[in-house]
Amino acid sequence: MNPTVSQDLSFIGMLANASVLVQLVMALLLVLSFLSWWYIFLKMFSIKRAARQSDQFEKDFWSGSDLNELFQGAVNARHTAGSLERIFEAGFREFAKLKRQPGMDVQAVMDGTRRAMRATYQREVDQLESHLSFLATVGSVSPYIGLFGTVWGIMNSFRGLSNVVQATIAHVAPGIAEALIATAMGLFAAIPAVIAYNRFAYDINRLATRFDSFMEEFSNILQRQVNL
Amino acid sequence: MAAYAAPREPGRVPAAVLAGVVHILFFIFLTFSVSWKTRAPETMVVDLWSAPPSAPVAAPAATEPRPAPARPVEPEVKPQPRPETPKADIELKEKERLKKEEQKRQEAEKRRLDEKKAQEALRQQQLREAQEASRIAQEQERVAREMQARRAAEQSRVVEDYKARIKAKIQRFIVLPPDVPPAAQAEFDVVLLPSGDVLGARIKRSSNHKAYDDAVERAIYKAQPLPLPPDPAMFRDFRELNLRFRPAE
Repeated sequence: MNPTVSQDLSFIGMLANASVLVQLVMALLLVLSFLSWWYIFLKMFSIKRAARQSDQFEKDFWSGSDLNELFQGAVNARHTAGSLERIFEAGFREFAKLKRQPGMDVQAVMDGTRRAMRATYQREVDQLESHLSFLATVGSVSPYIGLFGTVWGIMNSFRGLSNVVQATIAHVAPGIAEALIATAMGLFAAIPAVIAYNRFAYDINRLATRFDSFMEEFSNILQRQVNL
Repeated sequence: MAAYAAPREPGRVPAAVLAGVVHILFFIFLTFSVSWKTRAPETMVVDLWSAPPSAPVAAPAATEPRPAPARPVEPEVKPQPRPETPKADIELKEKERLKKEEQKRQEAEKRRLDEKKAQEALRQQQLREAQEASRIAQEQERVAREMQARRAAEQSRVVEDYKARIKAKIQRFIVLPPDVPPAAQAEFDVVLLPSGDVLGARIKRSSNHKAYDDAVERAIYKAQPLPLPPDPAMFRDFRELNLRFRPAE
């Protein structure tokens, strides 16, 4: 039968037969995909951990234990402490320092404490949000990269068609199938990245809200202590 | 807190391993699913417009010589061990022995001759059979040829008949333009489909009268479907037709 029909249409064969540029595009997409999956798992772990640690610390905090004890615990376990614990530590440290200084009124002490907590809060949220922009970029750009590879591959296969007297679909089909793999890979990289980005953004938002509420409540507790 | 060092995120290695696993799984999935698709059975539609060539006449098989029967093993004539005889009547015994031997030799000779004759007869019979078979085959072939010739004649008659009908039908649709010379003759190559539709009509020899050529071409297309014999096997002769048209007809 037609020799082009019997071409190797297996996945590996198509990868091997693609033109150099398309292969480069595929390699790039593979790297992007790998990195995005890596970050997906990384973020998944770290967000889960942050949520777990926050749960734990809130439980400890609201169980009525002494603030000084909690502070000591946070300082001792600085490297394993969660975000919420670090915010608490920064706030309490600043509060203790300001309280010892003479001539500070309540407002000034509370402002300083709040600023210290806000700074740590921002650092923590920034830490949580790191690499999220990469996921967003992969999600929006890799389909275009894949599409570029596909367009290039299809262009090539049509150019090869010009040398053929009688053009049949069998002449272009393998080339187009090869080229379409690039789009498939782009989508494969993009879809999980977009899903993960949305998911993580939502999770981090919730955590941030939680930190925020904690800061407010903790400020209230400290304010009550200033007057003591 | 100037010396704030962002802690490295935990679980970098497990995340990398998991990412690798995801890709390997995806690759395996793609490889197999794509390969499966290529092995889908190819369907093919064949329209048979003429009978396949008939099987070759079974004549050659008959002429093939039958494998010769295994030759009967010729009994070896062994010289009998000489009987021990006492020396006294040695001469008499010797004579007797000679006579006996002579007799035996003759017998053996006779037997051999008989066998040879039998073999000869067998070979003759085989030869006769082979000749008979080839004669039958030739006869069959001759009959087949004759039948074929008759069929061909019949066919050509039908073909002519239908060609005339096609031409007549086209003629009916020709709208003669004015002042066509009666000697004008337009020759067309018409390619037909099995349904009687015209796939293409190409002028082969112009009548040198453009209006007449055009009229004939229009008529060819207008006359479709053209009449075709009901037997689809005969369509072979109608795929490409060469038709001549004269205004007088």
